[in-house]
Amino acid sequence: MSELQRKFIQDFIEKDRWHFITDGLKTTLTVTLLALLIGTCIGIIVGIIRCAHDQQTANELRGAKGAVLKILNLLCKLYVTVIRGTPALIQLLIMFFIIMVSARSKVLVAVITFGINSGAYVAEIFRGGIMSVDQGQMEAGRSLGLNYVQTMTRIVLPQAFKATLPALVNEFIALLKETSICGYIGLNELTRGGDIIRGTTFDAFLPLFGVALIYLVLVLVISLISGLVEKQLRKSDMR
Amino acid sequence: MGMISVKNLHKSFGSNEVLRGIDYEIEKGEKIVIIGASGSGKSTFLRCLNLLEIPTSGQIFIDGEEITAPGANVDQIRRKMGMVFQHFNLFNNLSIMDNIILAPTMLGLMNKEEAKEKALTLLKRVNLVEKADAFPAQLSGGQKQRIAIVRSLAMNPEVMLFDEPTSALDPEMVGEVLEVMRELADSGMTMVVVTHEMGFAREVASKVIFVDEGIIKEENTPAEFFTHPQNHRLQDFLSKVL
Repeated sequence: MSELQRKFIQDFIEKDRWHFITDGLKTTLTVTLLALLIGTCIGIIVGIIRCAHDQQTANELRGAKGAVLKILNLLCKLYVTVIRGTPALIQLLIMFFIIMVSARSKVLVAVITFGINSGAYVAEIFRGGIMSVDQGQMEAGRSLGLNYVQTMTRIVLPQAFKATLPALVNEFIALLKETSICGYIGLNELTRGGDIIRGTTFDAFLPLFGVALIYLVLVLVISLISGLVEKQLRKSDMR
Repeated sequence: MGMISVKNLHKSFGSNEVLRGIDYEIEKGEKIVIIGASGSGKSTFLRCLNLLEIPTSGQIFIDGEEITAPGANVDQIRRKMGMVFQHFNLFNNLSIMDNIILAPTMLGLMNKEEAKEKALTLLKRVNLVEKADAFPAQLSGGQKQRIAIVRSLAMNPEVMLFDEPTSALDPEMVGEVLEVMRELADSGMTMVVVTHEMGFAREVASKVIFVDEGIIKEENTPAEFFTHPQNHRLQDFLSKVL
């Protein structure tokens, strides 16, 4: 039996150590997908508020409605600045040791942290996407009697989404990999799973490369799916 | 009071005062053509009529209802006013059919079947039935603009506003769009048109107005307007464009 085979059995088969990998993978995927969901919701809302504010003239921002929008816009700006300006790891530690100190589920802490973190990036991506859609699209919708929200949801956002898809997928991939810092709060996700095996068997090679390979495959799957979606969305560009 | 009544309309962008007090009355069925040099405020005036630009001061009444009043239901008012843009502004993410039926169905004015039927009737009028399932990117400029007109008509508007509808078109496509507008005028639609097409103004307009430096400098029937212009800025302008 070759050395590699022996190590493989020792790392993954003996005492069912592969559970560390599969359970870790499950946790990583759970945290990533839930955080993505939260992040996208926050991102859309914050992105729209920022655009709604920036696309109004000073004249239209007068009055009570304008004041509310101004305050919301400031809050959103503050949120994006703080979240983008500090490391995700620090945010995770602050959430775990200070804000959600009584939370029982580490998964929950991770989901909320990464959701909030990702939301700031998604917000900026969406803002760029919405701003890139010709102002005339909104004007045409409004001139037909549709209100702001109707025009936004049926006309502007679908086009913005198409323009931002590559950047959104980028954020999704970054998020997936960033969850590897959850080991710092003792959450057994994929990276920590591999590391636990390394610590028990004292073999670094197979666990770490194995984990790396799994991340790589996940990212490839994401790219593949996004490629298909993009192709679908490009239908309206055909000439 | 006319169908559209504009009183002392002012509009500033920052410190730039584009409209400096416009008063005008438009009766039902009239075809008003607005001409003027670039930057004269003619497009801004048109865009104020359906509040795409919010006037800085002054009043606008549509059918006696003040649309510039605080709390006026702008979305409701816009349903009565079709708008055709220089750059067409078809919804790029929707098929031609969906472009046309979106507003009537979304606003609950027609169900999908009725809206489609109406859309097909209108598409027949502009000879573009075969493009119903195409996307805007697949159409020529002239076709896009004809669809844009149809999209507005699908809302059964009382007034149609045209903001330089042929300015972004290749020369050979101008005719097909003007033809549709001519037919629309013949059908009795109230129209307000900003354009550089003097031939169209001459043939179709009931009144031509000359906007310059943010005010209406001259207003007359097309025959008088083009043959006996009074204002020297208008004489100057016409000598350059005719």
